[in-house]
Amino acid sequence: MESIIPSEFQQVDGAYHSSNVQNVDRLAAIRQEMEYLNAIGKRFVAAIDRFQVHRALLAALQDLYHFTACSILLKGEPFELSIIPCYPLSEAFLEAMMQSIASAASVIDFPQLAVEELARTAYLDAPDELSTVPQTDKEGGGKIGSFLNIPLTVESRIIGMLSLFDERSEAFDTEHLKLTTMIADYAAVALENVRLRERETALWRQAEAERQRLALIIGSMAEGLLITDLRGMITLLNHSARHLMAQAQVELKQDVPLRILAQTSKVEWLSLLVEIVERALKGETVTNQELIAGERGEMVPLTLSISAAPLYDASQPGSRPTGMVAVLNDITSSKQIEKLKDEFVSIVSHELRTPLTAIKGYTQHLMRRIERRLRKLRAEQIERSTSGLATEPPENTDLRNLSIVESQAEHLERLVNDLLDLSRVQWGKLDLHYTTFFLADVLIECIHSAQVGADNHTIELDIQTKDTKIVADALRIGQVVGNVLDNAIKYSPHGGEVIVRLSEHEGHYLVSIIDQGIGISPEYLDHIFERFYRVRNKASRQFAGIGLGLYVTKAIVERHGGSIWVANNAEAGSTFSFTLPKTPHV
Amino acid sequence: MSHISDHSSSVSRTQIAEAYLQALRLIDDRVTPFLGKATTRVLVQGAARRLAGTYPFLHFLIKMPYTEVVPSVIQEQLSGVTSTELAAGLDALLEECFAGLKELTGDLIAPPIHEEVIRQLEQLHW
Repeated sequence: MESIIPSEFQQVDGAYHSSNVQNVDRLAAIRQEMEYLNAIGKRFVAAIDRFQVHRALLAALQDLYHFTACSILLKGEPFELSIIPCYPLSEAFLEAMMQSIASAASVIDFPQLAVEELARTAYLDAPDELSTVPQTDKEGGGKIGSFLNIPLTVESRIIGMLSLFDERSEAFDTEHLKLTTMIADYAAVALENVRLRERETALWRQAEAERQRLALIIGSMAEGLLITDLRGMITLLNHSARHLMAQAQVELKQDVPLRILAQTSKVEWLSLLVEIVERALKGETVTNQELIAGERGEMVPLTLSISAAPLYDASQPGSRPTGMVAVLNDITSSKQIEKLKDEFVSIVSHELRTPLTAIKGYTQHLMRRIERRLRKLRAEQIERSTSGLATEPPENTDLRNLSIVESQAEHLERLVNDLLDLSRVQWGKLDLHYTTFFLADVLIECIHSAQVGADNHTIELDIQTKDTKIVADALRIGQVVGNVLDNAIKYSPHGGEVIVRLSEHEGHYLVSIIDQGIGISPEYLDHIFERFYRVRNKASRQFAGIGLGLYVTKAIVERHGGSIWVANNAEAGSTFSFTLPKTPHV
Repeated sequence: MSHISDHSSSVSRTQIAEAYLQALRLIDDRVTPFLGKATTRVLVQGAARRLAGTYPFLHFLIKMPYTEVVPSVIQEQLSGVTSTELAAGLDALLEECFAGLKELTGDLIAPPIHEEVIRQLEQLHW
């Protein structure tokens, strides 16, 4: 076997200084070796897949030796074995190769490899152009005459093994062993690069597939999606968002910050949208902000519900938002339904009120007549000196029945009044009739009234301020206190103390109503003032109501310029508190 | 058969260990130029792993490269091992290393190095 590579400089080491001729020869040898390594290095660097690495490897090895076949075994799960024959191999030779590979692999710390497994997974890679030796009628014999197994190492890490096989004995020599190891090192780096590139490509494909999937989801979302960068510049606007904007006759441009767009636009609601976006860009999560995007004059204008949240860089936890994402929902149709429902409730409440007044009036009239008749009967019995009534007169039963009718009619009236108030609040027609009065008087009156039907409760008044004069709607304030007191009694089924406390804080009165009842589960606290909202748990199921009292209460307090809130007490029950300005805000 | 078995009872464990570490260093010196440092180390580690069942004290060579083994490590790791056991285990390790080297390169480099190592061990005066 001839080699184009001269012997290495180890052999001429001692003679380096002996003569100029030797120096010249040595330099020429080094130069030739460098040129050779440079040439094969270029082949490996140019290889972009493992087949090209195989070709580069085969070409480099065939410059050194003539051999039957080589193989590359790569570590991994699963391992990979490529066999590169120089001419067709017999089954016996292949089997002998597998056995040699398995034995050598065990020496350099490969996981245990079975010959059958190697044979099953082996990939035969024999590009035609690499079979440089024209031995078409030759088939490799059954016996391995010589072999060489060189570990493939990258940065002191063994990634695989290069094996060379030949039918002849002594086909490989020590002289070229170092160079073969160098070639194996080149191949190892090239194969590692290919592996990294394959991994990169796989990850890129995966990311691209994810991106496409996400784009598909965003594109087919019924909700509008708007994403901006930190400057408020739109970076993504999905189809639904474009459609909504087109309906509102607004064209959002991707290269203009929303704030600039709002400043130059005549569309009023854009500034509200900018406000929501800027809140989200400051790190706040905004939920279900309603925004009227249609013409005000329309019966039900286009109404959007917008929720926005800041976007953070996942790689930098705790950093400032890098943008924000907003979801836009068209809630016009639900507003339309709500409006129809409000109209219905308003009409029905008005229509109910008239017959209810009649029922109440006639009931009271009948009750008075029966009472008169009963008084007359009692007087007649006294005149006849009859000792006591032998039988109860039927008028007594009538009177009891009528008082039930009256009580139920009053209950119905309260419900109708709540519904009417709801309509007034909905339509913004909750008018207040301001007068000057003492808040303490209203509280005392409400407490007396509530105490009548609450034998198990003790209602205490705790006034912590000297002056209680206020300019407000006395009737409505009475309604507020009455509603909260009713709740305090209703949700304290075992009785107890209810404290009504009045104090003064910076131009406001603070009224707190503290009970010892069942309290409110924390998850309901945020919703308790919503209309038709009823706490749904075992403890509160027994209590009647339609969930309007607190809604109307809140509306009245806020209409006065105050605020109302609720909190659970540390021990038991809850405290409803509301503020009222001493004089109305202008 | 240990190359120093005739004298193993009269030499200390440290002497035996150092003699074999020298032998391993000689293998390292001879093999590394051909196959690289990583391969030589894996050869020794692999040999120690295969023999650890029979000679448990060789276990420390699986985790620690033999180039880092110093007398204090020998004292610590080989306490309780008799000189005879130690010599037998280290001898088996050398033979396993050469068997591994033969699996990789056949008779290309193993026989001359093997001879050289045996010569070195035999030349030591115990």
